[in-house]
Amino acid sequence: MPSFVMYLVHTLFPHDVLRPTELGADVMIIATGVIIFYVLTKQKKWLYLWREWLTTVDHKKIGIMYLIAALAMLFRGGVDALMLRTNLALPSTPVIDALEYNQVFTTHGTIMIFFMAMPFIFALFNVAVPLMIGARDVAFPRINAMSFWLFAFGALLLNISFVIGGSPDAGWTAYPPYTGPMFNPGPGENYFFLSLLIAGIGTTMTGINFLVTVLRMRAPGMTLMKMPMFIWSALTTSALIIFAFPPLTVALAMSLFDRIFGSSFFTLGHGGLAMMYVNLFWLFGHPEVYIVVLPVFGIFSEVVATFSQKALFGYSVMVISIVSIMVLAYGTWVHHFFTMGAGPGVNAFFGLSTMLIAIPTGVKIFNWIFTMWGGRIQMTVAMLYQMAFIPTFVIGGATGILLATVPADYQLHNTYFLIAHFHNVLIGGTLFGLLSGLYYWWPKMFGHKLDERQGKWAFWLFFWGFWITFGPQYLLGLKGMTRRIYTYPAGFGWHTLNVISTLGAFVMGAAFVILVYNIIYSLQHGEKDLTGDPWNGRTLEWAIPSPAPEYNFARIPVVHERDAWWDMKQKGQTLAAMRPEDMRTLELPKNTPIPFLLGFAFFVVGFGMTFEWWYIVALGAIGVVATLIYSGFDYDEHKHIAAEEVLEIEAGLGRVQG
Amino acid sequence: MSQPLEFRPEAEDAVSDEGEALRFMRPHFGEEKFPWIQIWGYIGSLVLTFAALIMVVDHVLPPLALLSVILALAVGQAALQLGVFMHLRESRGLAWQIIFLGMVLLMAVGMVGMSIWIMTFKSGVS
Amino acid sequence: MSLPVEDEKIIQHVPAEFSDEKESIKITGFWMFLVTDVLIFASLFSSYAVFKNQVAQGPSASQLFTLGPVILETLLLLTSSFTIGLAIYAMRKENKRALMFWLILTLLLGAGFVTAEVHDFVTFVSAGATWHKSAFLSGFYILVGTHGAHVTFGIIWAATLLFQVARRGLTAVTTRKLFTFSLYWHFLDIVWIFIFTFVYLNGKIV
Repeated sequence: MPSFVMYLVHTLFPHDVLRPTELGADVMIIATGVIIFYVLTKQKKWLYLWREWLTTVDHKKIGIMYLIAALAMLFRGGVDALMLRTNLALPSTPVIDALEYNQVFTTHGTIMIFFMAMPFIFALFNVAVPLMIGARDVAFPRINAMSFWLFAFGALLLNISFVIGGSPDAGWTAYPPYTGPMFNPGPGENYFFLSLLIAGIGTTMTGINFLVTVLRMRAPGMTLMKMPMFIWSALTTSALIIFAFPPLTVALAMSLFDRIFGSSFFTLGHGGLAMMYVNLFWLFGHPEVYIVVLPVFGIFSEVVATFSQKALFGYSVMVISIVSIMVLAYGTWVHHFFTMGAGPGVNAFFGLSTMLIAIPTGVKIFNWIFTMWGGRIQMTVAMLYQMAFIPTFVIGGATGILLATVPADYQLHNTYFLIAHFHNVLIGGTLFGLLSGLYYWWPKMFGHKLDERQGKWAFWLFFWGFWITFGPQYLLGLKGMTRRIYTYPAGFGWHTLNVISTLGAFVMGAAFVILVYNIIYSLQHGEKDLTGDPWNGRTLEWAIPSPAPEYNFARIPVVHERDAWWDMKQKGQTLAAMRPEDMRTLELPKNTPIPFLLGFAFFVVGFGMTFEWWYIVALGAIGVVATLIYSGFDYDEHKHIAAEEVLEIEAGLGRVQG
Repeated sequence: MSQPLEFRPEAEDAVSDEGEALRFMRPHFGEEKFPWIQIWGYIGSLVLTFAALIMVVDHVLPPLALLSVILALAVGQAALQLGVFMHLRESRGLAWQIIFLGMVLLMAVGMVGMSIWIMTFKSGVS
Repeated sequence: MSLPVEDEKIIQHVPAEFSDEKESIKITGFWMFLVTDVLIFASLFSSYAVFKNQVAQGPSASQLFTLGPVILETLLLLTSSFTIGLAIYAMRKENKRALMFWLILTLLLGAGFVTAEVHDFVTFVSAGATWHKSAFLSGFYILVGTHGAHVTFGIIWAATLLFQVARRGLTAVTTRKLFTFSLYWHFLDIVWIFIFTFVYLNGKIV
């Protein structure tokens, strides 16, 4: 028995999770856990948590859970970033060693893409899409909850890696053969592949869900060309997801099989082709870039129209360009590995196709500018992010065109120029857009605004922090500094720029702290939104109270014009003057523990397989199958809210005539 | 006082009207007295399969041409299954699967073809 | 907005699986799932195409494959595609007994297919052709194996559907489930035809 315990301790806590940083994190995790447990028990909130949140299928609550997870992951990824920058601030003075540096940049990239940007986007989709199209929920509420729990348990699996068993250290792209068992023993990469596989199943289901929601659930009269731009972006993003995630799933599964089942896909011997992984990975990876940026284009289209108090300029051109970006996004993946050595034909083709994408993107930029032209612009925080986005994203796009030029790419590949470029589009595009959406839809989620003054502080710190961090990195790249080095000697001319860059990173850290303070402060003191329409909005979500009632719309309105709610307001119509005889009994999805249990069962499978403990895997697999079969036999999917009850709720909100 | 709103009698049922551009996705339901179409479909699928088999066993064409022909037969088989058995055009509202299957067909062909093209790098000099 | 009149007429007497708006949305959703599955297989086919000549010290496609068992498997699957088509035909005629008969027959044919395939794999492995041996074999086993796993999953799924239909009869929900299962099953048939063509027959073209 003691030998078994020793084995367990050595496997779960090898020396690389017993470093001071990890032990410090352990203490913090345990302390936080104890505090949460204490508070929940003290307030008798366990049952509330289970009933109202863990088993919910309400898209608004799922959106809020996604948001909380995304902000937590932004914190974790941000701390990782600060560790990386601290290590590189001064030449030859590493704070953490090479192995830990590798682990930290791996988790930084993985978390920021898969567990921060994606759930943040899904948070906004969940909150806004059904409300904007006049639906009572998404197409498949139960699958929506399953997606969330698969994502959440996938994220958990990756996040426990650094305190139990050891983190992955092969970068967020996890190229073989370094991820093979020969070079990378231990559970780290297993964690990586399994957590992404589990979260990836959830993401694929989310893609299907929102695609069908947009296609089939729109309010009567809302034809494709009358949908808000954000809905177009949700449609194209969902289509990208269902087209892009399958190759990722296959690539990850093959790598995992190479590691634990002894196959020979990407091995050095036995005819394996490591570059095939790279090909499959970027077949997913490039569309993924657009998966995280197209929603943001949608958010900005709503924000710019609302705060310029003008209809979006060139709507149909915007639609054409977003659809062409979606299509072109599939034809450019080789630009991530031009240096592989494919022939000039291949590289020329993919270089040109990459540059083509700049055209529809440029069209969109001009349309946002023309929307502002002549509008009555309100400088809210959401609008500030939009205005910062335009120049930042244009510069990020322009450096992207430089990288798409194949001969230049041979020089710039894997230098800090590349790092600066993709942070330029991911922070200047995705993060700015998500924060803009956060400020824009916050009143709809919680019934109060976020404090604008604090929000502006956070905005300016994010904006300048971003440029102070990544401006110098372009120059560092041109000076030859390569990515993924944990330290560098003095005398290369990299010193000053690195110091500046690290300072910028801490400015962004400060911005995040202010953002969190802003959220906590506003929960208490935020300006209440009593009308449901705090920004004088244009789309249907602003026609209902904030936060929206469980059923969203007591009656689904008929849509006649593009900005449906704006049109109704112009005609003097309102949804807040219902007649009692308009009320109907509503059918809504019913809460269920199945999604949570399914996610947990997948987590057990993932954890067991990480350490190759097959009894645990079998246990989890039984759980997965049992949950699915139970779900198949469960016909009790809906509940009903009686017309009288709806009337009572609406009357309580002051939305009934007489 | 604001005007009362207009609701459709069954506004819950969202059926879209997208005009002529998407006409090809209008739903169509078949009605049959006897499953003739299934029987002909089955016979057709067997014919297509054995045609490919015989062509390969007898080496009737040079390799690349032969592969192209049997792949064309497989595509025909897929079309047959979709048309005969999978009720491709049935839906409430528009039959959205038609456009997405068209897109995914292009992408699948593109993915396989491009991957082969990209991965030939190891045989050539570059 | 309603459809034009002639389309509304069609909607009036749709089959049971389309009769409920919410259930009919699930059919659209299932089509979209099939779209993702097409791309799973497309990725596997791309890998197989690239790995095809990476035989290392292992056997090549033309050395490994024998067409006899493959033809049997193809016949079993094509026939099961026919029987599930008849099952859906019976379902639309509201003939529950005929539906159950054709569904059970489909399951048996599917089980026969899986058995033949497993037997095939065991033969290969016992001849030393494990997937460790070469990238070609890895690509082959994962492509054909993923299809086989889909069929196995389909058999279990259909078995649970049998119980549901027996208990609840032909309602909007059960017919929708059966219809989506039939889509899944035909889809697997299409994938198999491509495996048959691109893997087995292609392996015999020298």
